[in-house]
Amino acid sequence: MQAPVPQNAGYMIAAYVITGAILLGYALSLYLRARRSLRS
Amino acid sequence: MRMLRAGRWITGVALLLLAGVYVRALMYTPIERMQGAAQKIFYVHVPAAIWAETAMILVGLASVFYLFLKDPRLDRFAAASAEVGTVFAGVVLTTGPIWGKPIWGTWWSWDARLTLTLFLFLLYVGYLLLRSAVSDPAERARFAAVLGICGMVLVPFIHFSVYMFRTLHPMPIVLKPSTPSLPPTMLATWLMSVGVFTLLYVGFVVQRYALSYLREQLELVGDGGSGKGEG
Repeated sequence: MQAPVPQNAGYMIAAYVITGAILLGYALSLYLRARRSLRS
Repeated sequence: MRMLRAGRWITGVALLLLAGVYVRALMYTPIERMQGAAQKIFYVHVPAAIWAETAMILVGLASVFYLFLKDPRLDRFAAASAEVGTVFAGVVLTTGPIWGKPIWGTWWSWDARLTLTLFLFLLYVGYLLLRSAVSDPAERARFAAVLGICGMVLVPFIHFSVYMFRTLHPMPIVLKPSTPSLPPTMLATWLMSVGVFTLLYVGFVVQRYALSYLREQLELVGDGGSGKGEG
C-alpha cells in the first residue's frame, strides 16, 4: 500500500507569499529611492 | 534616466512573468508524492539560490577588474549586484526553512550548506554596511572590492558543501554532471522560473546601477549631501 501524499500546502503558500512580498518590496524600494533622487 | 526606465520595464515584465510561474507551479505542475505540495517551494528556492550565488560571483569578478582598471562603472555594478544578491539570499533563507520544517521536521540545522548560505547573506550585509560606512569613493570601492573577492571565493564551497560534508540538505538534482532527475513537466516549470529570476536580476541591477549613477551626478553638482551614501 502506498503512503498518502503529505498535506502541507500551507508551507508552500507561505513560501510563495513571502517570496512575492520580498521581490515586490525590493522593486518598490528601488522605485521610491529613484523618485526621491530625481526630485532632489 | 533611460537606463532607469529600461530597468523598470524589465522588472515589471519579470514580475508579471513571475505571476505566470506561480500559476504554472501551483496549478499545472504535479505534486511530488513523497514531499507533497511543499516540494513546490523548489521552484522559487533554487532559482533564488542560483542568483544569490551568481550575483556574488559577478561582484567578485567586477571587483577583480576594478582593482586593475579603476573603472567606477565596475564598482557601481558590483554594488548593484551585491544589493540584489542580498535580496535573493533573503528569499533563499526564508523559503529554505519553510521547506525544511515539513520535510526534515526542523526549521534550521547548522549543517554545512545552510550555515555557508547564512554566511553568504551576512557577507552581503557586511559588504553593504562597509560601503555605507566609508565616505571616500575611491577608498570605499577598494575596500569593497577586497570583500567582494572574498565573497566570490566562498561560492564554490557553498555549491560543493553537499559533496564535501554530510548534510541534511539534498544533493543537486538539476545542476549536476548527469541528466537532471526531474520529470519533464517539473523541469520545464523550474527552467521558466530560472529564466524569470534571471530577468528579475537584470531588471533590479539595471535600476540599482542607474540609481548609483544618479546619486553620483547629484553629488557632483553639490546637491547630493556630504558624499556619504549607499554607494
